[in-house]
Amino acid sequence: MPSDLDKFVQIEQLLRCEPISEEQVKRLCIKAREILIEEANVQVVDSPVTVRREICGDIHGQFWDMMELFKVGGPCPETNYLFMGDFVDRGFYSVETFLLLLALKVRYPERMTLIRGNHESRQITQVYGFYDECQRKYGSSNVWRWCCEVFDYLALGAIIDGRVFCVHGGLSPSLQGIDQIRTIDRKQEVPHDGAMCDLLWSDPDDIVGWGLSPRGAGYLFGGDIVKMFAHRNGIDLIARAHQLAMEGYKLMFDKTIVTVWSAPNYCYRCGNVASILELDEHLAQEYKVFSHAPSDVRSIPAKRPPADYFL
Amino acid sequence: MSAAVSVPKHRLFESPNSRAIEIGPWTITARTNPISNAGQSDALQAAIGGIPLPEMTFGSNSLELEHKDSGWKYAFTTEEALKGVRNGELQEGDGGVKVGYADAWIKSRTGASSSIPMPQTVPTKPFDWTYTTLYPGHSTASSSSTIEWKPAERNNALHTIPLAELTRHDPILFYAEIPLYEDELHDNGASHLLVRIRVMPTCIFILQRFTLRVDNVLFRTFDTRIYHSFASSPPLVVRETSGWEAPYDRVKYRLPKRDDLTPLTDPMWIAKILSEIPSEISQEIGAGTKWRGLGNKVEVATLQ
Repeated sequence: MPSDLDKFVQIEQLLRCEPISEEQVKRLCIKAREILIEEANVQVVDSPVTVRREICGDIHGQFWDMMELFKVGGPCPETNYLFMGDFVDRGFYSVETFLLLLALKVRYPERMTLIRGNHESRQITQVYGFYDECQRKYGSSNVWRWCCEVFDYLALGAIIDGRVFCVHGGLSPSLQGIDQIRTIDRKQEVPHDGAMCDLLWSDPDDIVGWGLSPRGAGYLFGGDIVKMFAHRNGIDLIARAHQLAMEGYKLMFDKTIVTVWSAPNYCYRCGNVASILELDEHLAQEYKVFSHAPSDVRSIPAKRPPADYFL
Repeated sequence: MSAAVSVPKHRLFESPNSRAIEIGPWTITARTNPISNAGQSDALQAAIGGIPLPEMTFGSNSLELEHKDSGWKYAFTTEEALKGVRNGELQEGDGGVKVGYADAWIKSRTGASSSIPMPQTVPTKPFDWTYTTLYPGHSTASSSSTIEWKPAERNNALHTIPLAELTRHDPILFYAEIPLYEDELHDNGASHLLVRIRVMPTCIFILQRFTLRVDNVLFRTFDTRIYHSFASSPPLVVRETSGWEAPYDRVKYRLPKRDDLTPLTDPMWIAKILSEIPSEISQEIGAGTKWRGLGNKVEVATLQ
């Protein structure tokens, strides 16, 4: 049914990976911000049990592979989606990918949950492609700027039926409870330190307790930390993204945490499969594995690089 | 204009994950596969001493050369390249670095004004998280011939890589790009190891390039070039290894457009800029890490 909202969302156009005008992007971003500002840092997702629920990991601008994802999970709004960040950078269609997700968010706010990844940041997108892509496709940095303003409003996590906690990266030593996340002032660029940074950047590792990354910044957390967090907060599972998993997902620590990865053939050259996590009404998990879109259809790089007179 | 070169007889072979050329006494095989799966990764990790693998590890990729007349076999493999990465505490010469905001990060957790004190942390396995390697390829275990690499003679033209010949646009008979590993250093930069080969009517030329970018810290390149002229008699292989390094800002300063940072992710552009910076800086002082890979070395080996 057409509604007032339809003038903000060019879903049909975006589903075909066609660009929308700069003015349309601006309106979409403003509308999205109005919706996101009302959301909590940890968005509560309680959907009717009759609706399918899919949790998705990194997409990284691989638009046509995201279309494969929607084939596997079913169209939104018939299916309820939760994307755990890293929509942009690296792939060739970050603009179309993010705008389609945003349009679905605006059109079906209850059926589309978007949480922030570490790539939803001004600093990172200037290095890893999104900024450049906006410049190339729109001839100015306006679209990039409006999208970055939306990034600042994205939720930091989500909780499904009070039992599955979703976050892009992982846990933080300064947060014992999900309640503490609710007190963060999230409306800012992703900082380099503090709890907000940890939620978007940290990784599980086969250690006991907390570890400091050998890179000199960032936390690693062990199975005991995950189990303690789960116990304290009454949750069964932590779903996170952030790290490539060749098989599409990776369960750790007696299945208390899972990494979900949704970018098949990552960077168009890794040859990995991807997955989404489907939860049924009892929160039973099913990992739906899928492969990348056929490469003959779309303008993604030929498998073999052209011969080059390198020196 | 030079006269067109004559193309020697050769045979090409192709399967989904490998390609090969037979030319004269040489058989050259390039294998390109998807990144390692969980089982392969576990085996590889054990083989290299337990350090975490790069995020994109192409464990089954390789370039192999066999010279039938001498029985010499030489290869570039992911496993051997990763064995060149420091496993353990970093030492003098390893050129170890921390991410750009490490000091600020630690301070924010440990300083007197810190509102979020550092928890007790357990030691994590120390290793060079930049995956820097000086691996120049290796003679394989099945090689029936061991050759000796000797320093190139200073004024011997045969002991150099002839740029004029390589710049000439002769037909490329065989070409391959073989990634061995890549890691994005948790979005603090990038580390890549890529092997490229072209077989020309007159020669074989290989470039293995390690490229490192640590955001706001440094850039580093380590190249291994292998050149063999089919005309050399006895057959001679020239191997040149070169390392460059420069502080991040020194390279960033050379960006064609100030606010577009994407060239900083291009190994070719990085190598070009590093080679344009005076070598007293890029090959001696570097970024001040005292990395032992800086400088230049040419060696030769005779196959017989």
